[in-house]
Amino acid sequence: MPPALISPSENDYILRGVDSNIRADGRGRLDYRQIILETGLITQASGSARCRLGEGTDVLVGIKVELGAVELDGADEDVAAIKAKRGRVVCNVECSPIASQQFAGRGADDFNNELTQMLDRVLNGPQGGLNLEKLCIIPGQQCWIVYIDAIVLDYAGNILDTIFMATRAALYNTKIPKTIIQDRGDGEIEFDISDDEEEWERIEGWDKVPVAITLNKIGSRHIVDATPLEELTTEAKLLVTVNKDGKVCGLQKSGGGSINPSLLNDMVQTGRSLGQSLIQSLDEMLQREENDINLKRARKERIEKLGFFAAI
Amino acid sequence: MTFQFLSPKPSSYTNKVDADGDIDMLLKTERENFETKVVTPGETITHATQYMGGHGTYISPETNQRLSSVAGVVDRVNKLISIRPLHTRYTGEIGDLVIGRITEVSQKRWKVDINSRQDAVLLLSSINLPGGVQRRKTEADELQMRKFFSEGDLLVAEVRETFQDGSFSLHIRSLKYGKLRNGSFVIVPPALVQRCKTHFHTLPCGVNLTLGLNGYIWVSKHTTQTVEELAIYSNENEEIDQENREAIARVCNSISALSRHFMCINDKMIMLAYEASLNFPVKDLLKLDVMEVITSEVSEKMILLKAGMRR
Repeated sequence: MPPALISPSENDYILRGVDSNIRADGRGRLDYRQIILETGLITQASGSARCRLGEGTDVLVGIKVELGAVELDGADEDVAAIKAKRGRVVCNVECSPIASQQFAGRGADDFNNELTQMLDRVLNGPQGGLNLEKLCIIPGQQCWIVYIDAIVLDYAGNILDTIFMATRAALYNTKIPKTIIQDRGDGEIEFDISDDEEEWERIEGWDKVPVAITLNKIGSRHIVDATPLEELTTEAKLLVTVNKDGKVCGLQKSGGGSINPSLLNDMVQTGRSLGQSLIQSLDEMLQREENDINLKRARKERIEKLGFFAAI
Repeated sequence: MTFQFLSPKPSSYTNKVDADGDIDMLLKTERENFETKVVTPGETITHATQYMGGHGTYISPETNQRLSSVAGVVDRVNKLISIRPLHTRYTGEIGDLVIGRITEVSQKRWKVDINSRQDAVLLLSSINLPGGVQRRKTEADELQMRKFFSEGDLLVAEVRETFQDGSFSLHIRSLKYGKLRNGSFVIVPPALVQRCKTHFHTLPCGVNLTLGLNGYIWVSKHTTQTVEELAIYSNENEEIDQENREAIARVCNSISALSRHFMCINDKMIMLAYEASLNFPVKDLLKLDVMEVITSEVSEKMILLKAGMRR
């Protein structure tokens, strides 16, 4: 990826702006841009969400649940036994070359891997919140595999936060068809998947899925929701993933710079409190959207998703 | 520390209705004033066959009508019809003022990104060397090219020459041109910036504005001090106080609001948007509803100004 460039004077302007709490676009250090969110816009997917930050960053997440075999091999027998009773989450993040010139050609490969791995590490563990055991249909045999595919359609900074937000919204939106398990006796178990569109359940533990807050250290201070130019000025980045209860579910530091311990502590605390209020607002939004749909359904009105026909 | 979540809004083609339920009648006159026709790809431009087709048009093999191949405005010069696309890369002409970013330093030349299909070149021979005297560029100059411009630097320049393959060569042989400092960078679609007598403006709010025709805009602090020859290539910013920073941010955000609503960008429009924005704190200008309020106020004022001029 050819590195995006910034001039020394822009760098200095941003640095001093952060110091005096007026960023280049007039925001304070801890101000987020407006977030535009819509769920359920992809009809073929089990769940989907599109999340945009301000005028820029645009992330589309599609989730598909598919039947698959459980994973049977593990490091040792105990691990294998746990895995045999579990469903799986498979993440994939891709940056579209239309988002930015930097992503053209093979340019985005490393970045895609980084984003995919981050999402995967957070969601595929106890801190991910999802109840993987509930995704298992027949222990040792069949389970649901949740494929989470995120695509970055436009880039104006702060991609990871947007991906996590969209993922949480899409998981809320995901419908898993109900399964009916029948015991045929003599150890044989069969199951049926309900064809009825009304018979579905939500992924258990979607509400415990964390969101991410990226804190960018510029000078001796930190900011959230950085623009691309601010990201170029950033010396070190700290990604804090937080769940509903304000528990830190993961930390990742990137960038070449260093963070001193007192600042690190400060950043984690900021990330925690911001993350918690982000989840609260996000859940309110999801609830509002669902209420609207239910209201429309009750009135027998047509439910229209705007998707890419939206004006804003 | 609040988060604002919005739902997407549908686009509407109806007239704007204000809080009292009054329908905005001005919009109709606005449409008559600007006799521009916007077309989308595949739309019929004209049924008449006497026109010649320019860029962005093609003839439908079935119906023999002239259709548009891009989304843009219809441009007619006598019998030649072409479409000026709304979203496009910059195509320069000699004498255009552009803002660019150095992407590469090579032998005797810099490569400059100017939002065009290819990077422009800035030859070592088309810059003013510190010291002021016109002299031949020596090998020593060639070795210290990064002292003048290095990768990432922003500069304002003029298009010196256009080449057959669509690339340009730039020059900065005037004290007006050179490295950019003390401010912030905004990008808008190049179609929105109009050619004017001057592209350097000083706004009453103490902000200097450089409008590049390639859609790159530089908003900086107004400085009274004359450019010293020696300081042309300096990277040092001056001290910029709180008030100036806010003014610069406000101008930048006004420009983004205009570009978001696809309104043309010149000093007059920016000033109108700036005045309209004074009712809001700077960071609120990033909000979509505030942007709409500002731009609708600007378009109203523009129409009043036009009507006044006609009278």
